Amino acid sequence: MEILSLLGQGFVVAATPLNIGLLLMGCFIGTLLGALPGLGPVNGVAVLIPLTFAFGFDPTSSMILLCAVYFGCMYGGRISSILLNIPGDEPAIMTTLDGYPMAVQGQAANALAISGVASFVGATIAVLGLSLFAPVLARAAIHFGPADYFALYILAFATIGGIAGVDPRKTLLSALIGLLLATVGLDPISGVPRYTFDSFHLYDGIEPIVALVGLFAISEILMLLEMHLKDRPKAIPVGSWLPQWGAIWKTRAAMLRGSGVGFVAGVLPGAGASLGSFMAYVAEKQWSNKKGTFGKGDPRGVAAPEAGNNAASGGALIPMLSLGVPGSGTTAVLLAMLISLNVQPGPLLFERQPDLVWGLVASLYMANIALLILNLPMIGIFTRLMMTPTWALMPVVAAVTFVGVYGISNSVFDLEMMVAFGVIGYVLRKMDVSLVPLVLGLLLGGDMERNLRRAMSISDGDWSILIASPISIGLYILTAGFLVLSVWLAVRDHRQTQAERLTEG
Amino acid sequence: MSVRILGVAIFVIAALYTRQAGTYAVTFGDVLGPTVFPIIVGIPMMILSASLVVFPTGQVDWPAPQRMGRQAAALAVLVGYTMTLEPLGFPLATFALIALIGIILGGAPWKAVVLGAVMAPALWALFDQVLGLPLDFLGELFV
Amino acid sequence: MIFRSLTSVKLGAALAATMTLTALPASATECIAPSNPGGGWDFTCRTIGRILSELELVDGNVQVTNMPGGVGAVTFAMVAAERADDADLIVATSTVGITQIAQGRYPAPLETMRYLAMLGADVGVIAVDNDSPIQTLAQLNEAMAADPTSLVTAGSSGAGGWDHIRLLMVAQEAGVEDLGAIRWVQFDGGTDAVTQMMGGQIDVVSTDLGEIAGFVESGDIRILAALSDEPIPAFPDVPTAVSQGVDVIGYNWRGLYTGGQVTDEQYAEWVSKLETLYNSPEWQEAATASGLVPIWRGGDTFEAFVREQAQVMEQISRDIGVIE
Repeated sequence: MEILSLLGQGFVVAATPLNIGLLLMGCFIGTLLGALPGLGPVNGVAVLIPLTFAFGFDPTSSMILLCAVYFGCMYGGRISSILLNIPGDEPAIMTTLDGYPMAVQGQAANALAISGVASFVGATIAVLGLSLFAPVLARAAIHFGPADYFALYILAFATIGGIAGVDPRKTLLSALIGLLLATVGLDPISGVPRYTFDSFHLYDGIEPIVALVGLFAISEILMLLEMHLKDRPKAIPVGSWLPQWGAIWKTRAAMLRGSGVGFVAGVLPGAGASLGSFMAYVAEKQWSNKKGTFGKGDPRGVAAPEAGNNAASGGALIPMLSLGVPGSGTTAVLLAMLISLNVQPGPLLFERQPDLVWGLVASLYMANIALLILNLPMIGIFTRLMMTPTWALMPVVAAVTFVGVYGISNSVFDLEMMVAFGVIGYVLRKMDVSLVPLVLGLLLGGDMERNLRRAMSISDGDWSILIASPISIGLYILTAGFLVLSVWLAVRDHRQTQAERLTEG
Repeated sequence: MSVRILGVAIFVIAALYTRQAGTYAVTFGDVLGPTVFPIIVGIPMMILSASLVVFPTGQVDWPAPQRMGRQAAALAVLVGYTMTLEPLGFPLATFALIALIGIILGGAPWKAVVLGAVMAPALWALFDQVLGLPLDFLGELFV
Repeated sequence: MIFRSLTSVKLGAALAATMTLTALPASATECIAPSNPGGGWDFTCRTIGRILSELELVDGNVQVTNMPGGVGAVTFAMVAAERADDADLIVATSTVGITQIAQGRYPAPLETMRYLAMLGADVGVIAVDNDSPIQTLAQLNEAMAADPTSLVTAGSSGAGGWDHIRLLMVAQEAGVEDLGAIRWVQFDGGTDAVTQMMGGQIDVVSTDLGEIAGFVESGDIRILAALSDEPIPAFPDVPTAVSQGVDVIGYNWRGLYTGGQVTDEQYAEWVSKLETLYNSPEWQEAATASGLVPIWRGGDTFEAFVREQAQVMEQISRDIGVIE
């Protein structure tokens, strides 16, 4: 009950006209930034920091604005995943797997609506978790040590074979290429530059967003160019402008499962939204892919990762606020923002500045509702975007991705690398190699390696530390179970198709 | 055949990568060092790519030479953009990018030019003026 | 009603500002933070940039650019090659950057740049979990001297970085001979290291106080020693290492450099602007709020200080075995 009264107080703090105005503005800017490929929450939040300084907003108002942008980006990222097969930001890659096929089948409106509602469900569950259990969860998360993180990444990569593609070897190779790319740059532990070919441009490693937009956006242009001009769809047929509510309702269970998985991933500092959406997708596929419809436009394959992505971003606020540990790149920027506003997140934040914390939580509830209301009417506008002929749409998309990358790093080298990734992406796609694992490998590889090395530093070189804690043992058992189940399902499917063939023959 | 060539290419890269990993010295106070993880990645990569060389899967239909020519033209425009962005400034370079890619994708030339002429300044205004990501209006050539 | 119209004016202005923010008289002044947003160098640029324009020491806004890479090496190389005579450019640096230069990890020597001033410093601390059996610095030193491998230590720098070196300096004073045997774990930030210590993964943390002060106040961790000359104003009860007979000082100062070919007049102008900024209540407040101790060293004094520190750092790194 105490929480309810605190939350009520939070609503009083948050619901001033200024804050509501900032909230709406943040939601809109966030959705826009998230939807533009190459621009994501990190830029959005960084762009707004000077603004909050310029107007001298108090910390609560600044935080409300920035969190609205943060949540808005998470909503927005899926839009270009679904409509263009180009993820708007990193966590939205999983949504391309089933979202784009749905759009191609004329179900763009449904896919957008399902992902919008799933985002709402995921984010709301995360905010509920945040308001009810934040301190407890933060105290639990600190028991996750380096060896346990490494086990978590092993689980992620062991299950990667199941996400997409015909040949699991190619999927694994794709993930390994991502891990390979993740080792490029100055090694943060030893300070040794690795695979940089003496170029200072590579010292900071390969920026995932550069690889992401190159692999998806540039390769998409090359794919389109190899089609016959008249075969190429002028625009994808849009079945209906308006979503069907029945279709959304059918995915409710997937949304709830995705939210649960994503939230857990978000609460662990360092795992973040990309891992959240990925794990949510894999878990959902394992759970309900009985007819092999995943990857071909299954609505549950849109609902689960979107719920997971938003639940994880909400969950990542828990370690950020109550421990001061950023769970992702974006929360790192929010954290810097708070510190420069003279707010020190950490164990005492909830006691010392309850107004700020509960005002923020209340504003997150409001941001979610605002985003849902803002996003649903926009579905019609976005689906119309698909009527734009390819020759007009793709050049503009290419220009936007170039700006997105250049606007952050001011580096022409990054643009060149982006084009190179486009060629690599095209070749790999021609060979039926899924690009999603590659990006995941690049995103998670650095942390995977660092946690392995931290664990080995702690044990002074004794490998047995990797299986020394109950958490890591549990994760390895889960991994093994997952693999056994996958093999068993594959064998069963194989037998069934054989049996069908026999009866037909 | 294509998959086999890809397998060989990845194998060679993985082999060079793994060999290079061995040259990174373990520095003071770092137990596992910068070497071990690349080797953990490189060896399975070599095994998997070798297996693709021996047992390739999938058929690859490469586009006809004429279409490959169009792809090459598109790549040339993209690379040209990276080279002209700073000398010309954002709106001019982007105008050329949008117009040329539009034509290569089969749009009517005059329509593509109009599209570029409208979208390039509009994108500049959106990013530079509204979002505050600084982009040069005129490039180094004009300074 | 007045309140309401005020807020709506403010809000309208904010909306308008998103349209015109960059249309304000653009200032040529640029501060490069050689890191991603967040973290010490970014804070230096953003705070100093904000106060410089608030005090109207520069025209318009200061543009803050993030140029991460190689713990500052990428920016250092770029300034040396392209903007050595650009008097409108300032770059954030700190003890961490000088340590990198002293260990030869930058592409050019220290003298490539002109060092303007330091405006504040974060204090290094050695901390343990509140439940740790180790209660004092003496006990820690005893344990390390008896068996250097017995404790797992951690901080926010890589092996051989400033957090690690500060701990090894303490251990060296304590008579530990095999410094390489002390286990060191790198984390991405001081807070990450502290939470891992609270979770029982590691035993001792060596890092800057500013970021982890909240955990000291909440009683989750205990500081064994502050590596400062004088006790820290915010925590007067925390003993310094010096007061416990361990002669180690370990600040992490925050300062700025500019290109090496900037003229003497331009250099002097920057130093005087920064001194005005340092003396302003705005800076004193912002610095203290983020856990910095305001300290001023500017111009030639600072140049000499940086050179001396680089030499000392190189010597320590050599003694400890970080470089050969």
